[in-house]
Amino acid sequence: MDQERRGQWLRGVLDLCVLALLHRRESYGYELAQSLDASGIGPIQGGTLYPVLLRLQRTGLVSAQWREGAAGPARKYYRITPAGADTLRRTAVDWDAFASGVGTVLREVQTR
Amino acid sequence: MNSDGWLQALAGELHRRGLDPDLSRHVVAEAATHLRDSGEPPLQVFGPPATYATAVAESVGAPQPGGGVGVARVAMPVRPPHTPGPVRLEVRGITKRYRRRPVLTSVDLTVRAGEIAAVVGANGAGKSTFLRICAGLLSPDAGRVRVHGTLGYCPQSGGTADFLYPEEHFVLVGAGRGLHRAEARAAGRAHAGALDWEPAGRTQARHLSGGTRQKLNLVMAALGEPDVLLLDEPYQGFDRGTYLDFWQQLWRWRADGRAIVVVTHLLNQLDRVDTVLDLTPAREMSA
Repeated sequence: MDQERRGQWLRGVLDLCVLALLHRRESYGYELAQSLDASGIGPIQGGTLYPVLLRLQRTGLVSAQWREGAAGPARKYYRITPAGADTLRRTAVDWDAFASGVGTVLREVQTR
Repeated sequence: MNSDGWLQALAGELHRRGLDPDLSRHVVAEAATHLRDSGEPPLQVFGPPATYATAVAESVGAPQPGGGVGVARVAMPVRPPHTPGPVRLEVRGITKRYRRRPVLTSVDLTVRAGEIAAVVGANGAGKSTFLRICAGLLSPDAGRVRVHGTLGYCPQSGGTADFLYPEEHFVLVGAGRGLHRAEARAAGRAHAGALDWEPAGRTQARHLSGGTRQKLNLVMAALGEPDVLLLDEPYQGFDRGTYLDFWQQLWRWRADGRAIVVVTHLLNQLDRVDTVLDLTPAREMSA
């Protein structure tokens, strides 16, 4: 995949993907990066991910807390807030409409 | 560039961009954790320190007074801009060895009136040793501690007299700080009340629960309103509510102009203190 284009797409949706993952359960940066990779979105570097998390935190869509895990070092755990869940629900619907529009147009090219 | 060098450079770049020091510390610590987890080189994960620092500064917007973005579990009262008072505790070059093993190596700390310093570090890093040296209970092998004013010390455990009632403790300790019996009892009750504890009962200290005994310890440390409070993980055995009360009490003491040193291993407190002294030995530090 063209990495530059992939980067552009990501910029538009990474925060939503992060919110969606946190909607499942609270998590920390490295685990989120792994989950995003595993879901096929591709590798996300820390330099891209943490600024997104900071922005989500600043705008109150996620909250964060340093905590020591059962084993291992203390980590900063992120959790979605009610406002975050609300934003996620609304924007997921918008994204669906947008992506299906793009899909419809692009499929015409493929099948031609 | 290795991780330590990269993290140090990042701390410098964040500072240069005027980021709140608490927030910077969190960003650096989080990057350190990520690098430890992933085992990847920092330049690959985060890019050059300056680039990453710029991205962080943009995400958090303008520097915010009062600080950290870490969402506190205990609401911290809004503070007026920090105006440091006179220096109350001055620690310079403290070194302590047990047998041949160095526990503290050239440790410095300055705490002013109206400041809270948190002492952190792994088990065995010398946190309690450091506090005992500050309290004058233990001699360092090198270095100097100067306390400007009166001192209160709350040990991690012990410190209570098994066969005395709580109020007898207040009278005993109060006498040493120039309080009459009635004054000492009243002051003790007031401090206990802040921790949601009614100490008037006829229960000897040996029959108090661990958490209540620590409340007693804390109240004794605070009797006579000392200028400097040294608290060695005083919340052991506290339930959640008391733990929150304890931190509220610390904010009040700080607002009253006390200089407070508190040993803690709970990192979620660190965004709400003025100074953090990390006693983790340098070779084990990754941040």
